[in-house]
Amino acid sequence: MLKFALKNTMIKIVQVILVCVSIVLSCGTAVLAFNTSKQIEDGITTNAAYYSAIIGPAGSQTQLVMNTVYFTDSPVGTIPYELVSELSQDSRVEKAIPFAMADSYKGFNIVGTTKDYFEEKELLNGNIFSIPKEGDEGFEIVVGYNVYRAAGLKIGQKIYTSHSVGDEHHTPFIVTGVLKETHSMSDDILYTHLKSIWLVHEEEEEHGHEEHDHEELNNMVCSIIIKAKNPSAALSVVNEYNGKLFSGHDAKTYSLQAVEPMAVIRSVLNDADSTRYIVYALCAVILVMNIMIISVVTVLNMIHSVPEIKMMRLIGISVKKINLLYLLQNSIIGAVSIGLSFLFSRIGLLFVGGYAKSMGAVLSLGAVYPLEFIIMVGVFVISVLPTAIATFVLSRKDSIAE
Amino acid sequence: MITVKNVVKKYKNEKEIAYRDYTFLDGKSYIILGASGCGKSTLLNMICGILSPNKGQIIIDGIEITSLSQKQKDKIRIQKIGYVYQDFKLIKNMSVMDNINILRLENIDVSSSEELLKKLGIDDKKNKKVANLSGGESQRVAIVRALAKKPDIILCDEPTGNLNYEIGRKVMEELLECSKGKILIVVSHDERLVDLFDEVIHMEDFMVKEGEQHA
Repeated sequence: MLKFALKNTMIKIVQVILVCVSIVLSCGTAVLAFNTSKQIEDGITTNAAYYSAIIGPAGSQTQLVMNTVYFTDSPVGTIPYELVSELSQDSRVEKAIPFAMADSYKGFNIVGTTKDYFEEKELLNGNIFSIPKEGDEGFEIVVGYNVYRAAGLKIGQKIYTSHSVGDEHHTPFIVTGVLKETHSMSDDILYTHLKSIWLVHEEEEEHGHEEHDHEELNNMVCSIIIKAKNPSAALSVVNEYNGKLFSGHDAKTYSLQAVEPMAVIRSVLNDADSTRYIVYALCAVILVMNIMIISVVTVLNMIHSVPEIKMMRLIGISVKKINLLYLLQNSIIGAVSIGLSFLFSRIGLLFVGGYAKSMGAVLSLGAVYPLEFIIMVGVFVISVLPTAIATFVLSRKDSIAE
Repeated sequence: MITVKNVVKKYKNEKEIAYRDYTFLDGKSYIILGASGCGKSTLLNMICGILSPNKGQIIIDGIEITSLSQKQKDKIRIQKIGYVYQDFKLIKNMSVMDNINILRLENIDVSSSEELLKKLGIDDKKNKKVANLSGGESQRVAIVRALAKKPDIILCDEPTGNLNYEIGRKVMEELLECSKGKILIVVSHDERLVDLFDEVIHMEDFMVKEGEQHA
């Protein structure tokens, strides 16, 4: 029966293609929209959940979180490193991790931090960088998975970072480790010890290559990531440091802000919720319209098949077998279309991946959500339903020719 | 054996047709002659269970098919009866073999089809689309499909209606050759074929005339 169903499907190839295209466009778009939105949301909240609080220079809360957690946007400014020492000794704080973003390698950003930053991260191979010493021939650096793949790096390889395009530093970095893939922006980052960042700029300045303000980097950080001992401790730190004035080693006073990244992200996501629902609504409209097209085309196909069905009935093929045949045919069309819809959604993910990166999420082609299956199964059922109804009506009719 | 007993058929807004009682015997060939629209095809359609008479009984090998459900009639038709339709009832966009293999949907053994195609001289056309065949070739395909399942009864509705006399006669001879030992009932308006059959039935004699009782 399967062989016959396939042959019978192939002789109506134009109608089949029309149904397939309708299903692929509607179902594929719906699945793509849902998957993208979910991955971005999951990526954003998962990344933000690692940290209890972030302390940085006064300014935009969102910019501070986006820069520290998702490595996007430019840093709000800098604050003195002494604040890290102060916070490390705070009884409410388990860990205070410095974060500085400076320089790049082949377009990938470099972050200066400490080993504590890697507590939640796993190495694919190699080791975490060690603390640099003055006079080192090269500074150690750990690379994210995408950097490792894209630049074809190897452990022990020397790389030269740059402060801006065409402005390469003379002191090399030596790759000591590669991080496991996380499907987040972390995969696109190179990590080195904070002091390496300071030293490389110091050395460059000595060689007369640096033209920017040295004070902006030396002994400064862009933000401090806080891992509090408990949620109430985190809240207490945020309340204390948000709006606080801090006097640095340079006798300057720095105005601080402290935020809970999850709260900031939730607020950003809530603002984006209405946009997300509009996208979902549009997808639903496309889906409903295409379901109508699919139903009409399927019913027309069935009407077109009436002489063929009648012919089969006349030569003695039972209603049951004819019903099975047409259900099988439509199931094949439905299943192939759903498979292509899934493929379409994954190809779509490749295209929207670049946009999603700017929001701090690396879209994974392998991420599949249960609702995607529900959408696909739903569309499959709808694609087969008109045939099921038509064949049911046919089977109710006892007579053939009268 | 097929027995037609007190059978009356009436279509909407048309005069009723009453058939005389008759028994078609195993192993014999019959030709029913008559003008178009006189009820020849109706009789074949009632025998194979496509149509139901308004009155009377049609009994095939002791089973009164007129009292059966459509499903049961379908079963008898697919198992016992091979029907060659005037318009062939073939799926034009499918190949000759696919049109025969369609019977396999009902688990019918069609292994004899290759031999029949050879016998009827169209074995070289088996992979061709029916749409690309001539009328005579299509007719032969319809005959092969009817015979491939080795039916006890073969019904043919104007099997040579689309063919010229010479080809039609040749096809009929081949059909008779392949139908030996079975009941073959052919309806036709071509009287030149009567010499090929065991029994010749004229519809005017087979129908009960107005005011006459069934007999």
